[in-house]
Amino acid sequence: MQREGSPFTGVGAVFLKEYADHLSSVRMRVLELLVVAIGVVIVAFAIVNMRETVTRDEFLFLNLFLYQREGSIVPSLLGVLAILIPLMAIGLGFDSVNSEFNRRTMSRILAQPIYRDALLLGKFLAGLCTLSTGLIALWLLIVGAALITMGVPPSGEEVARSIAFLFVAIAFAGVWLAIAMLFSVMFRSAATSALCALGLWLFMTLVWPIMVEVLAPMLATPDPLAARLGLPSDSQVDWYLGLARVSPASLFGDASMAVLQPDPNMTRIPTIGMLGQLQGMVRGGALPLNQSLLLAWPQITALIAAVIVVFAIAYVAFQRQEVRA
Amino acid sequence: MRTATLSLLFAVVLGFASPVALAADPPPKGLWLTTDFPSATARAGEITTIRLKLQNSGLPPEVAALSVSGVPEGWKVDLLGGGQPVTAAMPPSNDSVTLSLRVEAPAKSAAGSYPIVVHAKTASASADLPMTLSVGTGLAAKLAVKVKLPELRGNPKSNFDFQFTVTNESGKDLVVRFGADTQKGFTSTFSEAYGTNELSSIPIEAGQSKDLKVSFKPPRDVAAGSYPARIRVEAEGASDQTQVTMLIQGQPTLRLAGKDGRLSGEAEAGKPSPLTLVVSNDGTAAAEEIEINGTVPQNWKVDFSPKTIDKLGPGEKKDVVATITPFNKALAGDYQSTMRVTAKGDSASSDFRITVTTSTLWGIVGVGIIAVALLVLVGAVARFGRR
Repeated sequence: MQREGSPFTGVGAVFLKEYADHLSSVRMRVLELLVVAIGVVIVAFAIVNMRETVTRDEFLFLNLFLYQREGSIVPSLLGVLAILIPLMAIGLGFDSVNSEFNRRTMSRILAQPIYRDALLLGKFLAGLCTLSTGLIALWLLIVGAALITMGVPPSGEEVARSIAFLFVAIAFAGVWLAIAMLFSVMFRSAATSALCALGLWLFMTLVWPIMVEVLAPMLATPDPLAARLGLPSDSQVDWYLGLARVSPASLFGDASMAVLQPDPNMTRIPTIGMLGQLQGMVRGGALPLNQSLLLAWPQITALIAAVIVVFAIAYVAFQRQEVRA
Repeated sequence: MRTATLSLLFAVVLGFASPVALAADPPPKGLWLTTDFPSATARAGEITTIRLKLQNSGLPPEVAALSVSGVPEGWKVDLLGGGQPVTAAMPPSNDSVTLSLRVEAPAKSAAGSYPIVVHAKTASASADLPMTLSVGTGLAAKLAVKVKLPELRGNPKSNFDFQFTVTNESGKDLVVRFGADTQKGFTSTFSEAYGTNELSSIPIEAGQSKDLKVSFKPPRDVAAGSYPARIRVEAEGASDQTQVTMLIQGQPTLRLAGKDGRLSGEAEAGKPSPLTLVVSNDGTAAAEEIEINGTVPQNWKVDFSPKTIDKLGPGEKKDVVATITPFNKALAGDYQSTMRVTAKGDSASSDFRITVTTSTLWGIVGVGIIAVALLVLVGAVARFGRR
């Protein structure tokens, strides 16, 4: 039967209920504790080490997100977030739809004047807001801790850049939330759904980077000049980046680096073709914010588009399902 | 005498002067008081010192009482030995004692000759030295300055070094001060001819001369022309001066800067963008045949309009538009480029920092992709919406 009226009827009610449920649930407590505890430990480690370094960076605050001591196994905050954000998102989303079936509450909800569209969208928005709450809390904690311990206020550009990073992180969380919800729609069993989501995450995090390393040189056209100089050829780098960017974590990492590292030379992989492009460039120059955002924009676009597309697939799958009392 | 003549002949025949032969002549025995110039000049109101020698020849050392007689009234005449007034001396056997006669003539003493006698008396011998002290005008203090090369040629950036010699043509030591009269803005430095110490005065002994050097530095913006300068030397009661000339040729001094002093510009990758440069001539002569060129990174293009300037007078400015086209694959960031102007006799260059921005086209494409994704979602909502 075709829907009558706006698909958004009842989104607000679903959103508020789900948001409240998320915030008061034990699962959320555990996730929040995990994120905040790890975040604080990493930042404290970074601050302690940065206080010892004599050379002062123009972008001291942004370094907090990127700081990693050479040779240390402690990853940077960015690296930790690249692992934690998908975990949080999967944790919140893997049973959002199928738990309603399992508790036999789906038909009761849909008996209310709430459309399926609104139910799915409300659940997604509630999950995204919960993740955003956690990330904003973490962001504020970092800024506050840095203010107290380092005694240097962040500059306007640093604040703008770290807010842009927050936005990128939320978009990244949205991708994994949408994926988790897609699996929760597809599989009635919560365990299967969780396993699939975590499996995909593990594949993207562990297996895919190795496969990219192997595949890129095989697919790339050989360049004798590059081989002689010991640099990767342009085609090799193109393949490498193209394949790596299938993984949302790679998109998130690239976009975050472009936003958080104003010196573009620190983030580029030098290739043979780039030698011509970089010739005459003044080293150590920081890019203005708008140029950094332009650099990160393709990745940000891809993340946002991925959220929408995965949500659309989940939506179509959900709409085609049979709901019985 | 005969022996001496024979010895001398012998020495001449042998071809060498024999001190033995001279010493063979026994010196006369006795006590002598001698001086080189027994008729000395004393200047009224000044102190004159005359050297005396008390010679003991073949006598045993004895105390010789010294005295001066015939001293005109009002004069002060002392005998000094080793700088102190003495009344007696004791020359060893076959040796001499050097004495000084210090004569202080009163300022009002009339011109004329005044005879005095210096006496030396021992128990066995005595010696007298009659002298004449003349009070006259004496030799006035006189300085002479002579420049080796009185005319030098150069440009406003060069130093003009004039070597000159100052001669003290007077009878006494003088402390000579120097000075230079130049046109406003010139600086002068005096030094020894082959020294680096800056001097303002130098002592010159009587009859001696010193080689000195004066270095003139013209002001940077001096106009072309001939600039005379005068070197003055002064001492107590004497002075001299000489004229030197500096011929300054004009020179162009080029300067290259961005409009309003900016040394940076912005350009979008692959697109030509203008950068206005200002060529100015701060020099004193016109710059001719000025060529403008630039060094930019590889694969970049730079074009100037105009490419050359025929003539730029002193104090003139001219705008030149440089059109810079970055490599179309240039990465966003700052790039270094050097612009250069070259004219006859001078050149200038400036480094410019070009900030390359990338096209915002891909940003719009990104927005389009998101819009397409949203359209797919809206389409799905419209197609699959159901109760």
